[in-house]
Amino acid sequence: MCLAIPTLITSIEGTTARAEIGGVERTISLALTPEARVGDYVLIHTGFAIGVLDEEEAQETLRLFEELAEFYPDETETSQPTESTNFPTYQ
Amino acid sequence: MRYIDEFRDPHLARKLLANIRTRSTQPVCFMEFCGGHTHAIFRHGLRQMLPPTVELRSGPGCPVCVTANGDLDHAIALARLPGVILATFGDMLRVPGSRGSLQTAKAEGADVRVVYSTLDALQIARDHPERAVVFLGIGFETTAPTVAASVLEAEAGSLDNFYVLSLHKLTPPATRAILDEGEVRLSGIIGPGHVTTVIGSDAWEFLPRDYSVPCAVAGFEPLDILRAVAALVEMAEDGQPAVVNAYSRGVRPEGNRTALGIMQRVFEVGEADWRGLGRVPASGLVLRPKYASFDAALAFPVDPGPTREHKGCRCGDVLRGTVEPPDCPLFHRVCTPAHPIGPCMVSAEGACAAW
Repeated sequence: MCLAIPTLITSIEGTTARAEIGGVERTISLALTPEARVGDYVLIHTGFAIGVLDEEEAQETLRLFEELAEFYPDETETSQPTESTNFPTYQ
Repeated sequence: MRYIDEFRDPHLARKLLANIRTRSTQPVCFMEFCGGHTHAIFRHGLRQMLPPTVELRSGPGCPVCVTANGDLDHAIALARLPGVILATFGDMLRVPGSRGSLQTAKAEGADVRVVYSTLDALQIARDHPERAVVFLGIGFETTAPTVAASVLEAEAGSLDNFYVLSLHKLTPPATRAILDEGEVRLSGIIGPGHVTTVIGSDAWEFLPRDYSVPCAVAGFEPLDILRAVAALVEMAEDGQPAVVNAYSRGVRPEGNRTALGIMQRVFEVGEADWRGLGRVPASGLVLRPKYASFDAALAFPVDPGPTREHKGCRCGDVLRGTVEPPDCPLFHRVCTPAHPIGPCMVSAEGACAAW
């Protein structure tokens, strides 16, 4: 029930916005995210945007995954780490 | 960046699994609080991919499932009142109460309508000024602000036929209740991503502080969940519990202050009845006295009758993580998706439905 879908805001009028969900446009409320702007991706939950997604943070997470990929060069789940014992950290 | 496909990359998932396998030496049991996580874990087959040292356990994070029978009976009694339209999210329709469900009440003539949003319920109230529209307020901190916003909108629009039956519940007190009972030994908690979008990752700091249990807040794509598991394994192995925000694109430490402000303006904290946990103090949301005129429980006193539990159903134990669905004697014998006995089989987020 706490499902929320990343959705692109295409236009804003007052406290409502038009957003594209799976190719379908619908009106959503920005009452909980007044900071949202056109071009932002927001998390939509039961017709309300509950949070604005942070692209920089998303890129940073993906960069961390790429670092990890270099650490485990083999293509299997039992891939062994490289010579280094400095494991990538998540904290 | 579309925020979905990027976090489903099988190549990167294999790397995360390699990291988990390399780092995990001691047996650990992590609880995913959120039913959305349970379903994502099953959908992507993550349980089978994890090493045998890492066990995942479903938690109480399904609002439909944790709604107590007595509260559901209350909602059904309200739906049966003449002149009332009961608006509800679709998940609640088939959940069996003590004597039937909202669906059977609807079949017998009650006006029960499924809505996608509280905004739809407000529109029904505008379209039917002669009727009382009761919105069934189910959900955690993700949903409660949307219901609070609808109460404020009803107030601003002088809509005097819109009511809420607030059965909203708070997730940190339920997590505390499970850890306090100590029936299942947990090495870490996968924090609910969208609840935490609202309440903020700081709200989970009590886990390492008071229980020495690490928490990793996770999004709902496979890489998000594997990253959270990797972080929990790392903290368990190092014996350094902390809160890790593994969903930083959608969660900030302080949460969504606007949403929290609206929720706190309309609701105050009160006790709540949870299926499986019983009455938990300070774990629910009730309308503040200023908004009492919107409270369906006050506006329409009803007697829902005595509460009856379903014989043999172990949903309560499943929600506390003390047993898994196949341990229930009814599971897949008499309780099936087509003929559910307990709410964990009904709800799209229930552990039994996911299994």
